[in-house]
Amino acid sequence: MPPGPSQEEIRRQNLGALLRHVHVHGATSRAELTTALGLNRSTIGALTADLAAAGLVSEGAPKETGRAGRPSPVVRPESTRIHAYAYSIEVDRLRAARVGLGGVVLDRRELDRPRGLLVAEAAPLLAGAVKEMQQQVPGDPVCVGIGVAVCGMVRRDDGLVRLAPTTGWVDEPVGAALGAELGADVPVTVRNVADVAAFAEHARGVAAGCDNVVYLYGDVGVGAGIIAGGRRVTGHGGYGGEVGHMKVVRDGERCECGSRGCWETQIGEHGLLRNAGRSDAQGREALLAVFDAADRGDARAGAAVRQAGDWLGFGVANLVNIFNPEMVIFGGTMRDLYLAAAAQIRSRLNANALPACLEHVRLRTPKLGDDAALIGAAELAFERLLADPLDNG
Amino acid sequence: MSATPLLELRGIDKSFGPVQVLRDVAFAAHAGEVTALVGDNGAGKSTLVKCISGIHPTDAGEFLFDGSPVAIHSPRDAAALGIEVVYQDLALCDNLDIVQNMFLGREKRNGIVLDEPTMEQMAAETLAGLSVRTVKSLRQHVSSLSGGQRQTVAIAKAVLWNSRLVILDEPTAALGVAQTAQVLELVRRLADNGLAVVLISHNMNDVFAVSDRVAALYLGQMVAQVKTTDITHAQVVELITAGRSGGLGLTGEPGQGGNGTGTGTGEQPAGSTAGGDR
Repeated sequence: MPPGPSQEEIRRQNLGALLRHVHVHGATSRAELTTALGLNRSTIGALTADLAAAGLVSEGAPKETGRAGRPSPVVRPESTRIHAYAYSIEVDRLRAARVGLGGVVLDRRELDRPRGLLVAEAAPLLAGAVKEMQQQVPGDPVCVGIGVAVCGMVRRDDGLVRLAPTTGWVDEPVGAALGAELGADVPVTVRNVADVAAFAEHARGVAAGCDNVVYLYGDVGVGAGIIAGGRRVTGHGGYGGEVGHMKVVRDGERCECGSRGCWETQIGEHGLLRNAGRSDAQGREALLAVFDAADRGDARAGAAVRQAGDWLGFGVANLVNIFNPEMVIFGGTMRDLYLAAAAQIRSRLNANALPACLEHVRLRTPKLGDDAALIGAAELAFERLLADPLDNG
Repeated sequence: MSATPLLELRGIDKSFGPVQVLRDVAFAAHAGEVTALVGDNGAGKSTLVKCISGIHPTDAGEFLFDGSPVAIHSPRDAAALGIEVVYQDLALCDNLDIVQNMFLGREKRNGIVLDEPTMEQMAAETLAGLSVRTVKSLRQHVSSLSGGQRQTVAIAKAVLWNSRLVILDEPTAALGVAQTAQVLELVRRLADNGLAVVLISHNMNDVFAVSDRVAALYLGQMVAQVKTTDITHAQVVELITAGRSGGLGLTGEPGQGGNGTGTGTGEQPAGSTAGGDR
């Protein structure tokens, strides 16, 4: 029989649980923490004192509850001091943000990214944005880590980005490049953007409390962040969730991945623009212009949007049958497509999915919007702190 | 997804003189769900909503709120129960700012003066609770807001009063694509925050994007009330235009079918409804 957890382990666990609670739920009174964590009052007091001594939380004046009795002090995360840097490397833009404990975006920078820009060229740009932000930070900030969301397949072990067809990278060491650029004494974690966004929505977004979630993220291609049984499903090497390359048409349109008939050739940017007769355009603006034209009665654009909606429902039905999620989230360009073609999507989904799998599935758009990638990337960086608060503090 | 509907109507009849507008209508709205109320022009949607909000008295039928019978004789009764309606024209005053509009006619007082800080704080909290990020200042005049922002303010105004049922009449009718998207997300969020929402819409996309149930009115009769997971676009259109679709809707000749399948709970056996597009 293995020995039980030591006192030290229990304490670390409790510290992490308390910090995670205020990180996710924001300022919380000690009394509420007692109830939420199921620990007794003096333990909460001691844990809070430890975290406060490490500068991770602060205790403040209680909220006016208007009730009888001594008010309980409120524990707040030290959002402006404890922070992480988050990057989002997208097809058309690079974003960087300083995100405080508690998931608040404190500062942000956005740069255009010409399609095809290599990581070697992107890394200095991002590092420059971060250095600019660093100079403006007041007080004695503590950076706990760097999280990166990339539109591409990411090897979990070392953050190597492999074959990101939409950005034109093949085997680029994003994690190492960014770490070197920043002279990093902090860990860099790199993940696929759909995984990261799903993580953020699961932690503090529309999917909070849902343990089985499929987050569809669309830019040029389409990827999914899948959470099953409360855990992220990323596969053996970390490459899982590439639902955009699910084959839906035998010998169909050629996809950028080299194969044919992938789902994203029907619902992705290229497919939609092609069907709308606008193959020469690209980017999210061009896509939004198609939705707008469809809304105003342009027959060709309308047909293209409806067709893409039908295909979206087709693929979602497969995902619903396989994963039986309680929520499917449509993010990135999939949000716009969902809201523009929900009738087609729903109808196809209802017709194709198994009734038992369909029963409790909710279709939602993200609560965090485009910030999900940044907030999720920061969550990656905070994970280490939350697992063992005082080691980093 | 509660078992008892928050609001349940049974056997509602309503006539204007010789014209019978609602016939034996049953309708249910559940907390945490968006119920889409669809129907052609003149089907009785607006009349039904006005009956719920106490503007029109009904000729027959019963109202159940939270499972217990209630009588709604005036809009004040409806408001006391927590029923708020956002009409198409929004009923906002262009020359007042957002906070003034949200509290119009129900201002908070502190002694004899208006309690502006409290009102502003409540307005800010309500908008934050709905994750509204598009409004820059609460002291902006409504005349300076876009159509989508006005709709947002009107909806926030309805939510402010601890309301439990919010009825939205065509909230996206006059909006562009981006603003429609924002309003739809807001509608969904209201329900996810635990309110019962009734959405009147002619736009099938809006209906399918946010609703959990669809209630179809046809010439004053409730021809179907089904879950959105059990119905297709084509079926809803058929219900609106013909009052029936496959096994759904009116049975027999129009006019004799009475209430069809529009039972109080709106539950349908899955097999009878899911087959439309296979």
